[in-house]
Amino acid sequence: MKYEIGQNAYIKLVLHALKHRTSAVNGVLVGRYIPGDGDNGVVQISDAVPLFHSLQIGLLPSLEIALLQIEEYCGDQGLNLVGYFHANERFDDYELSNVAKNIGDHIYRYFPQAAILLLDNKKLEALSKAKDRNPVMQLYTREASRSWKLAGSDGSSGLIPREPTSNIVLLDYISSKKWKDIVDFDDHLDDISRDWQNPELFK
Amino acid sequence: MADHDAWRELAESYVSLQMYKQAAFCYEELILSQPTVPLYHLAYADVLYTIGGLESLQTAKKYYASTIDLTGGRNTRALYGVCLCTSAINQLTKGRNKDDKDNELHSLAATALEKDYKRRAPAKLPLLTAALKSLKLL
Repeated sequence: MKYEIGQNAYIKLVLHALKHRTSAVNGVLVGRYIPGDGDNGVVQISDAVPLFHSLQIGLLPSLEIALLQIEEYCGDQGLNLVGYFHANERFDDYELSNVAKNIGDHIYRYFPQAAILLLDNKKLEALSKAKDRNPVMQLYTREASRSWKLAGSDGSSGLIPREPTSNIVLLDYISSKKWKDIVDFDDHLDDISRDWQNPELFK
Repeated sequence: MADHDAWRELAESYVSLQMYKQAAFCYEELILSQPTVPLYHLAYADVLYTIGGLESLQTAKKYYASTIDLTGGRNTRALYGVCLCTSAINQLTKGRNKDDKDNELHSLAATALEKDYKRRAPAKLPLLTAALKSLKLL
């Protein structure tokens, strides 16, 4: 089972995490599943919606509203909710929190190939020094077992960038401080004129 | 008792550990000492909704309503909160006595949301309408 992440989705998620460095952030992944024979299906993550950056992460109401509207948006575009992204508050915290697992389980119920992505802070910091093609995230999938397992034990993450230049573009955006422009669902609830789909971000 | 920021930080820590009942206690203390700050009412209502259960949901709805009152009807999260609470309460009390008085609050909140979206975020209006519709049917 391969997981392919598109450049726009990848950059949105990392920029969102960089915008709110001092707190945990989360987001949902949107895309579709291309079945293959046996275990060779591909989950294509084509877009991401950054959700919250404050203590709203642990609370239900805003999450439910967000999921309702994002599911509508997915239905319009013919896409699915394929996963969840989480970035922990602390630099060296690699634990998948309960909140992340609960939301992941919820998405899993509707989309069995769901994935959870956890931001790898050390890789993100090392990005400017090393020329790494791999995404700076850890991929968790839930196989037949009831828990989320880290994919890819040999160093690679099982998550492939769709465009190999994703990390280079990301570094470019980081240096130009593009994260200031990103809008998440939290910002939208504070001021509804701000669009969580971020249509102008990459123009 | 006078250190409000400490109570807030404690409440946020509890939420991050998913200890919602303890977080609710912190917000209760804050509301007692500063009853006109809408932020505490809203946060308390959010925590109550997350705890779930019929009684918590009914109280959450009251606090969303008081937030709307204190902010002059402009707080989007509280308006959404009222709609969510109504739909969750209806789901829990399916078939039992339906209170008509409650539906009025729900539809007022929904109308206020639609008016606000039409004015400030017209592109998102269809998504909002669909989301509200799926809540009413629940």
